[in-house]
Amino acid sequence: MPAPNRVSIIHGVLVVFAVALVVRAGKVQIVDGKQWSERAKRQQFFTASAPAARGNILDASGKPLVESREQVRVALALPEIRDTTFVVAALRRARVDVSPVRSALARKGRWVELPGLYDPAKISALAKLNGVHFTPVLQRVYAPSSGIRRIVGGLDAKGKPVDGIELGLDGILRGDSARITLARNRDGRAIETPEAWSDPPSPGATVTLTINSGLQDIAERQLSVAVDSLRAAGGDIVVMNPYTGEILAMATNRAGRIISSNTAVTEPFEPGSTLKPFVAAALLGRGRARPDEVIPTFNGKLELDGRTITDLHKAPQLSLSDVIRFSSNVGIVQFGQRLSPREKFDTFRDLGFGTTSGVPLPAEASGTLREPSAWSKQTPASILLGYEITVTPLQLVAAYSAIANGGELLEPQLIKEIRSVEGDVIYRAEPRRVRRVMSTEVARTVREMLLAVVREGTATKADLETFAVAGKSGTARRTSLKAGYTAGNYTASFVGLFPAEDPQYVVLVKLDSPSGAHYAGGDIAAPVTRIVLRAALAARDAALNRESLAAAPTGPVVARSRNGIGDTSGNAPESTAADPTPATSHIVSLPLRAKPKAAPGAPRIVPSVDGLSLRAAVATLHSRGFQVRIVNGTSMTTSPAAGSVATPGTVIHLGYSRE
Amino acid sequence: MRGRNLVGLLLAGFLLVALAIVWRRTIGIQQSESLTALDARKVQLEGERVRLESEISAASSRQRLGPVTENRLGMRIPSDNQVVILPRKAQDASP
Repeated sequence: MPAPNRVSIIHGVLVVFAVALVVRAGKVQIVDGKQWSERAKRQQFFTASAPAARGNILDASGKPLVESREQVRVALALPEIRDTTFVVAALRRARVDVSPVRSALARKGRWVELPGLYDPAKISALAKLNGVHFTPVLQRVYAPSSGIRRIVGGLDAKGKPVDGIELGLDGILRGDSARITLARNRDGRAIETPEAWSDPPSPGATVTLTINSGLQDIAERQLSVAVDSLRAAGGDIVVMNPYTGEILAMATNRAGRIISSNTAVTEPFEPGSTLKPFVAAALLGRGRARPDEVIPTFNGKLELDGRTITDLHKAPQLSLSDVIRFSSNVGIVQFGQRLSPREKFDTFRDLGFGTTSGVPLPAEASGTLREPSAWSKQTPASILLGYEITVTPLQLVAAYSAIANGGELLEPQLIKEIRSVEGDVIYRAEPRRVRRVMSTEVARTVREMLLAVVREGTATKADLETFAVAGKSGTARRTSLKAGYTAGNYTASFVGLFPAEDPQYVVLVKLDSPSGAHYAGGDIAAPVTRIVLRAALAARDAALNRESLAAAPTGPVVARSRNGIGDTSGNAPESTAADPTPATSHIVSLPLRAKPKAAPGAPRIVPSVDGLSLRAAVATLHSRGFQVRIVNGTSMTTSPAAGSVATPGTVIHLGYSRE
Repeated sequence: MRGRNLVGLLLAGFLLVALAIVWRRTIGIQQSESLTALDARKVQLEGERVRLESEISAASSRQRLGPVTENRLGMRIPSDNQVVILPRKAQDASP
């Protein structure tokens, strides 16, 4: 056997090496393959949790009230940064707060979280820098309205809901977080590869509220003006659709106090005379009185159980209708004695007082309605006057809705619809009948009584020129801490049904502790209601069925005295501080109605606008009560000419040339 | 020669398959990166939309415009008799 030559030896070694490689490869791939595969995955991939986008909250017309948007938190991995000065300068240029970097460098820290959240679009260039890391954070963007904010609530710094719809419907809005597996590139940054896998996040459902943001805007604005002008401690306005129970607007205001919750559901109050119509309904429903039945009212003064009950409208006797119209305390106590304490309690309990309404707002108050066994000697009379009972504005509006819709108490609805992210309807609100609280006939009779209150009773200032409004005013003394009922401290309220014949709105206006000479609900809350209704009529979208309004058989409300029989103050001015609207100066004939009554206003001189800017000229003419139409002409001339006499509402042609 | 050709062909085939695999992975990673960048851009634009809508909403609210229109322009809420509700024309009856 010849000795192997060197080539054969080399070949032999290579073959052995190749066989060793194959064997080793076989061991790696086949025997230990699973273990190595797991190890590679651990090195090349990592798993992160990605929060699901929280569901949006919309108003009834689909306008976003709350949305989520992604922002980023910036962090620095100091060992990865080669030139710290350069990176810090770049961060400064992008207006990132780099204050913690110096102390981190001093203590030789490795990871620095920079404060604040940043718009990804504005700092995207920083992503290319070594050592700069972004963490996405979903941030909630809320509608700017403070009233909306008190309905939808908010999240704390950790993203946990703290109030409102955000808390009440957290389980629906939250969605399910994702587990995302990403690959690392050679720099350790996350990259997506076809091999990466993930369970996609399931965003939260979209919640549509019954709130109409246009009407909410109107209510907030008018409430703010009223609270400021009357120097009141605060107030609430609630508007409800009486046929569906949908809450259309819920504005709250507390002067000089930051509140996060919606006081229309969290702060009960003693409603005063606004409860009297329910006493009348209870009497009518049980056959204990007739609307025209007369009872002695002793010229507005009655001694009962050691207390004196008085009236502003002093009459020897009044019918039940007039007791409501003039808000007679003596009259309602006289009539109310025909009801037993249990019947009074049952009446108010059936109207939903003393229990929460069920709207998904945390901390909803139930109000106070004590069992007759806990009543004092004076409670049977006090409760008829709206004292010793507390209700939330929402409860009161829901109860009046029963009068408006023919006698059915409906559950207040704040959620109109909930849709999954795929667009499937999860929930859709339907009117929920709680119980019938009065017959249709009794409801109609009480509505007529409320119409008389606005036409010629205590709340004529709520009245409109072309639509009938029904309602009831209330003025209740307020208690102070440790001082009981204090003089000059009142809650002024008015609950209105608009239009009276077929109400589309039930509006509650409540003003707390107004300062000044006028504090009665009919004097200050009723005019605010009128302005809200006017603004709603003039608004593009305020949840009004205009077809129904146009077709309503409402004639103009007959001429009535503003300072007449229902003016409890006796000398109340035509317009209060809460009513910034000047007297009507322009009349338009409505196609479907009789001509409204003539507006007051004496003829006046057309002012000169020579030398004024176009804007100033228009403002000057408007301030004099004229309408303006701009026409081509020589600069700043009017027709009729300046100095002429014209009635308010006359259209003044204002010549204007661009040259 | 035939054997060497066969080995050469096998090697060339192996090379082509290896190149195709590497090319596919490279393209896949590139497309994933584009997808990630587009996703990030989409998120940025969504955020921008939400921010702008919020600003428009704030700027057009009655709380913001009310004082300006009333004090500077002398505008006011019309009374209800200045609002004309036009009845919708009755639908033509279908035959």
